[in-house]
Amino acid sequence: MRAEPSNPLEFARTRPIEGGEIMSDAERSTDERESSERSRDAGEFEPIQVFPEAEEMDLRPGADDCYKCSTCDTNCPVAEVDDEFPGPKFQGPEQWRLKRKDDHDVDESVMKCSNCMRCDSTCPSEVPLSQMHNTARGEYVEQNMSKFSREYLRNRILANYRRLAPLAAAFPRTANVVMGLSITRWLGEKTLGITSEREFPEFATETFREWWAKRNGSNVSNPDKRVAYFHGCYANYNTPEVAKALVRVYERFGYEIVVPEQHCSGTPMFANGMLEDARRSAETNVRELASAIDDGADVVASCSSCSMSIRQEYPELFDVDGTGDVAANTWDAVEYLRVHEDLESALEGTSVGPEFDEFAYHAPCHARNQGLDGQTLEVLDVVEGVDVTDVGDSCSGISGTYGWKEENYETSMKIGEEMFEHMSEAGAAAGLTECPTCSMQMEHGTGYEITHTLEVLEAALVGPNAATEST
Amino acid sequence: MATETDVLVLGGGSTGCGIARDLAMRGLEVTLVERYNLTDGTTGRMHGLLHSGGRYAVSDRESATECIEENEILRNIAGHCVEMTGGLFVKRPEDSDSYFREKLEGCRECGIPARALSGREAREREPYLAEDVSRAIEVPDGAVDPFRLCVANALDAEAHGARIETHAEVVDLLREGADVYGVRVRHDSGPGRRNHGTSGSTEEITAEYVVNATGAWAGQIAAMADLEVEVRPSKGVMTIMNVRQVDTVINRCRPKGDADIIVPHETTAILGTTDEEVTDPDDYPEAEWEVDTMIDTLSELVPILSEARTLRSFWGVRPLYEPPERGTADPTDITRDFFLLDHDERDGVSGLVSIVGGKFTTYRAMAEEISDFVCGKLGVRAACPTAEEPLPGSENLERLEDGMDDFGLRSPIARRSKQRLGSRSRAVLETDEPNPVICPCEGVTRAEVRDAIAQSGSDLNAVRIRTRASMGNCQGGFCCGPMANELHPDYDEVTVRRALDELFEERWKGQRHALWGEQLSQAMLNYALHATTMNRDRDPASADPSDPEADAASLEYAAFDAGEGR
Repeated sequence: MRAEPSNPLEFARTRPIEGGEIMSDAERSTDERESSERSRDAGEFEPIQVFPEAEEMDLRPGADDCYKCSTCDTNCPVAEVDDEFPGPKFQGPEQWRLKRKDDHDVDESVMKCSNCMRCDSTCPSEVPLSQMHNTARGEYVEQNMSKFSREYLRNRILANYRRLAPLAAAFPRTANVVMGLSITRWLGEKTLGITSEREFPEFATETFREWWAKRNGSNVSNPDKRVAYFHGCYANYNTPEVAKALVRVYERFGYEIVVPEQHCSGTPMFANGMLEDARRSAETNVRELASAIDDGADVVASCSSCSMSIRQEYPELFDVDGTGDVAANTWDAVEYLRVHEDLESALEGTSVGPEFDEFAYHAPCHARNQGLDGQTLEVLDVVEGVDVTDVGDSCSGISGTYGWKEENYETSMKIGEEMFEHMSEAGAAAGLTECPTCSMQMEHGTGYEITHTLEVLEAALVGPNAATEST
Repeated sequence: MATETDVLVLGGGSTGCGIARDLAMRGLEVTLVERYNLTDGTTGRMHGLLHSGGRYAVSDRESATECIEENEILRNIAGHCVEMTGGLFVKRPEDSDSYFREKLEGCRECGIPARALSGREAREREPYLAEDVSRAIEVPDGAVDPFRLCVANALDAEAHGARIETHAEVVDLLREGADVYGVRVRHDSGPGRRNHGTSGSTEEITAEYVVNATGAWAGQIAAMADLEVEVRPSKGVMTIMNVRQVDTVINRCRPKGDADIIVPHETTAILGTTDEEVTDPDDYPEAEWEVDTMIDTLSELVPILSEARTLRSFWGVRPLYEPPERGTADPTDITRDFFLLDHDERDGVSGLVSIVGGKFTTYRAMAEEISDFVCGKLGVRAACPTAEEPLPGSENLERLEDGMDDFGLRSPIARRSKQRLGSRSRAVLETDEPNPVICPCEGVTRAEVRDAIAQSGSDLNAVRIRTRASMGNCQGGFCCGPMANELHPDYDEVTVRRALDELFEERWKGQRHALWGEQLSQAMLNYALHATTMNRDRDPASADPSDPEADAASLEYAAFDAGEGR
């Protein structure tokens, strides 16, 4: 009997794309070159040119791990509400296994996948499902979607929100007014297919990075305790209060914070099959974060999708130099403090003011996939004056840009229904989560104001004097 | 009472079906009998290589030349059974340089287009090739689906008036004096399309001429007429991988040896093979170490094979033959050429010819030669059309590629269905009824399963070889039931249950040699689904109603030991 391979998944998940020179043509013997000339003259057999394909991701071996149990399908929030969606098993291992090398017809249903990545964490056999979906989606967009279609343009805009945000941030008040106008939303739906049901998130009058520059960076200098903060786009342009909370909490523990140059983490780009855009972002992020790591920092992120992207999707999809190192040294901001500091003890006996009271907490899918779904409840349990109720393991349904699309809006709301119900049953009048788009959905579905966990930690650990700093 | 026919062909493999088609197209009345399913003997147990001839380019140039000729013909007449993957002969550092040169030279002399590649070029083409593969020769090898090809021949023979009887075992050759004039067959479930609900019967079929195309079983058939045919059956193991690690046929470039070929076959890759003489083609040992050798040795060429999932392993028996006076000891040295044994000339018994030896790639040329011979015996003058006339499914394939829609199927399912059905796609897949996927592993829809049932009756193994349903990674765990479901209500419950059991047992058989790692998990899940959830291990409904004693509830507790160390 053969022994079970030590780690059959290793090559499938992380195998870098082969590109290295192993033998140059010059090393070939003369007679070999001659004979190849001869046969070229003689034969009418024209071998197919396959060289470009050798550069592409081949995930067929990943299908080896699937034994068809369908656990992924039963846990897929999209499949639950949309009978037309074939589910992760088909999108992933089945579709890849049916491929021959030259085949490019990925089924269009891959665009209905919301990239919540729940299938990854529910699979009992470690099938690299989201990697298969991301890659298939990338192939679909590359091969099958017209670059002139409204859908492509809309997806490109949504995926590259970061490119538009600086413009809005330059004139935040105007932008907020314009984006809030019903005519804008109507136009958005009619011309681009962005649902008019949702209100665009407000842009902050001062971005986090502007604040950070004005503040002259970190108040703490400590070569032994240094973190590089990956704030992502949303905390920078829309919710700088979350980013500021992170800064103050970390400084409270004596950390020196650096804020490297950064692009979008890539999450919305993966979800829209814009792998080339995502690769460009990843190249910048990996380069900058790797250099911070070289300077002795660990990377922390306040957005659960950003940390997910850097930790899992980068190594699965790109072979950028240093990716593995950056992935291994990136943390969720709260997780990092739990591991490196005694966060619970520090919180023991702390309290928060009346601005925080009861919360309905939703664990984002991307936090769940990192094994962090229980963390917020455990951490806040010891803080006086705050009462957190978990609303269960349902998906919020918005999944980043997914729920912004006109055609997905209803599906997105159907998925979110369970969460909305649980939120209203929780008896709290406010929501808590770590994911920006989950918070949009929570607010949209319940009208609650949504807070980030780091803001509560800031109130508990730093207290109300924090507010005086933010001029 | 006997049934009469012009020519009776024994054996439903590629040779028999090829001969039946050829003779039927020449206007003869043909009956073909096969003891189990089409392809059940050697044809369905091969690695699916469409030879370029490269493998024989050093040792047997005549065969090599014949291979490349037939390779080109099959691409034309059986495009929907063939995938032109191309092939590589790869050389590892320890393999001989001079043999590499001889191979290249041999290909050139036999008219096989061949090109030398550096190791780097070979890896650009097949990224999973070993780092130390130093050189390769590119040849036009291909992959062929032996099931589809054989069935297409049988279908076309039927279209030309032939009678194809499967599950009809020859129990006697009818001989009177020095003349063989027919056979007696036992129909497993009556003549015609298989129906498990019909009781068995026997039938005498008489013919002007009998063609013994039973390959490795030719000796057993000949013995029924007291004739001797010294077939030397030689077994070889093949292991099926769950996915295609390579998209090109990978041959090892060395003179001979076990485990030297990987063929990308449909959704899988097939590793082959070994060569060992056996005495009985129906009864020989199947050993675990043979499978291990296959994987270990071929991992030298494609290292990820050592950690990859295998679906099953199977053994096939080559119908090797050589005139007894040659006395070659090693079966690998026995020629792969075929022999036409004219029993009239050889034994003084008329009315019978036996065909032995030969190889799948050249089945059509063999069939042509034998048909010419039979026509000569019967005084029939008709030209052989099989090199030009496409098989059903391969008519106007190029034109069809462009114009075809997806028939409302998800695109990878539509693609695979169209690759299997070829020009029959529209006829089979265009339906007003819902067309759900029955076999998700292989992407087989209800329409295709029903088309196969219409061809072969209640026999789900016949449906399997026609559609590939149940040949994917769950090995029927999920689709056997839904496949059987399609038999109802045309067939009654008892028939459907028997058909289901037969298919599931067949699927299980080959998995015995793949039970580690993921395929073991798969087998456990299949067991849980079938035995516990579906109650298939002791379903009272399966019990024979006529025999209340055979109650499935009697469990032999004594058969269990106390467990290790107790």
